[in-house]
Amino acid sequence: MNLVGHLNCFVAVAEELHFGRAAERLGMAQPPLSQRIQRLEKELGVRLFERTSRHVRLTGAGRLLLDEARDILTRVERMYTVADRSRFGERGALRAGLPADLGGGVVAALIAAFRERRPDLRLDLREISTAAQVRALAEGALDVGVVRHPCDTRGLALGPLLGQRVGALLPAGTAGAEVHLADLRGRDLVVFPREEAPGAYDELLVACRRHGYDPPAVHEARHPQFALGLVLAGTAVALVPRPPDAPGVTWRPLAGDPVVWRTSCAWRDGPGADAEAVAAFTAAATGVLRREAPMSPLEPAPRRVVTRPASGFLA
Amino acid sequence: MTGIEEVFRAAGVTGHLHAADIDTGRELGVGSDEPVVLASVFKVALLVAFFREAAAGGLDPAEQVVLRAADRAPGPTGTAILLDDVRMSLRDLAALMITVSDNAAADVLYQRVGRGTVNATLRLLGLTRTHLAGGIRDMQDSLLAEGAVDSLGELMARLDEPGLMQRLSALDPARTTRGTPRETAALLAMIWRDEAAPPAECAQMRRMLGLQVWPHRLSSGFPYDDIVVSGKTGTMATIRNEAGVVEYPDGGRYAVAVFTRSLLPVAVLPQADAAIGTAARLAIEALRR
Repeated sequence: MNLVGHLNCFVAVAEELHFGRAAERLGMAQPPLSQRIQRLEKELGVRLFERTSRHVRLTGAGRLLLDEARDILTRVERMYTVADRSRFGERGALRAGLPADLGGGVVAALIAAFRERRPDLRLDLREISTAAQVRALAEGALDVGVVRHPCDTRGLALGPLLGQRVGALLPAGTAGAEVHLADLRGRDLVVFPREEAPGAYDELLVACRRHGYDPPAVHEARHPQFALGLVLAGTAVALVPRPPDAPGVTWRPLAGDPVVWRTSCAWRDGPGADAEAVAAFTAAATGVLRREAPMSPLEPAPRRVVTRPASGFLA
Repeated sequence: MTGIEEVFRAAGVTGHLHAADIDTGRELGVGSDEPVVLASVFKVALLVAFFREAAAGGLDPAEQVVLRAADRAPGPTGTAILLDDVRMSLRDLAALMITVSDNAAADVLYQRVGRGTVNATLRLLGLTRTHLAGGIRDMQDSLLAEGAVDSLGELMARLDEPGLMQRLSALDPARTTRGTPRETAALLAMIWRDEAAPPAECAQMRRMLGLQVWPHRLSSGFPYDDIVVSGKTGTMATIRNEAGVVEYPDGGRYAVAVFTRSLLPVAVLPQADAAIGTAARLAIEALRR
């Protein structure tokens, strides 16, 4: 006898006190439900319900056994939960990585959005750079992450690609609605440390030089407050996505949007981490990044590439 | 220790390298035994198999063949870019395959020598981790099919789409023509020690490798008039390789194989090319100390 299945039926009928509604709740037809209750009564050797044509009532034995049945079902459910958790290496949590510069609002919204989708699962968030995330995902030390492209995505599966406009953080009072990169000539550049996302860093500097801004010095700022300080001091410009408003500085978009950071969720391709938990995180993170960062979905757009004889393929 | 890893890091590439003194066997490496995508460096293995077949009488290197314009494998150099039929000897095709990485020439030699013979030659030379998975056309076909594009130019234009590159088996050493830095350097050393084939054939191979035209990779690391740099490049999207031999006026000669992969999905990346030369020089200077 499938005792757990039968106990489930017993609890449903006891709570509904109506065979039709109980059957509906269990997603089964009424006759098999009645048969199961009868079989359970036979197994236990007691009557659980008094049935009349109008009423279903618990017997005294039924009332006693209802508590036992609920207890057993709770324990069975816990077994599944523990099994679920053991699939996360007994951590009972989804280990997710985020870049350091997302901002407090984004992190809080992400935690809330994930909790809403998976209240049963703890989210173990870590502040990790893209480069470290790629390594940790490959080693299985991280279940899912939010990475900045381009990075080494071999062996990884990716969520939707999001773009974030990068602009110039300048001392307050800077004229104009937008600035050209070439107008920044002569200023030092403040940018995130290269080791955090070397691909995105190199791409940013290539774009600066391409558009006429070759910074005399590059300061790598791990912390937004440090970047802010250098900008406030008046000699540097920070190239960052729009930050929360702060006194003394102003953020201006770059003319023609020459720098767009590309971000997506990433996880190890193939079996391993719980796919549903990863999908829940990806959906939550993608939604939050679009709303709060804000980022927008990027359609793949082919670049203009003129290959040279020594580059491209098979030279 | 030698700063090689720092050179790779600063250039925005991951790199593996092996360098060996051809005469003493002294060696040094960074990821010497990592499996790497050979790209056009595979043409060295094809060259060796070709000249061994020639030495054994299996083919006549002076045989003239006609490459019809319509049948030639595509490529950016050599006979692959010509408009009309070409008539040339097999060994001259080998010269173009090595000196300018002519894909059409390599395709003809690959058809003639055969994949099985090249792989058997590698085994015979003790190179167990170097393997030809296919020829020029196989690689081109897989790139177009897996990239879901009509041309390699289009593929290059879409290369920065996250996830695209990982679909390409031609960029995955587990699924394409592969080797290791150590074995690639070993193959070059065998050519220089007359062990890869009889001495006359090895001399012809050395001549061709010495006539390679590209100045931007291995060669760029040795900007000295009295040093001879011979080599063969390999390029596949973000993969940039070169394997060769560097000969010093004091008689020191070193086989070196450098394999890199850039983070930036761009076709033109001079610092990555130059890092190959710089890393090779650091390795060889360490061997010479």
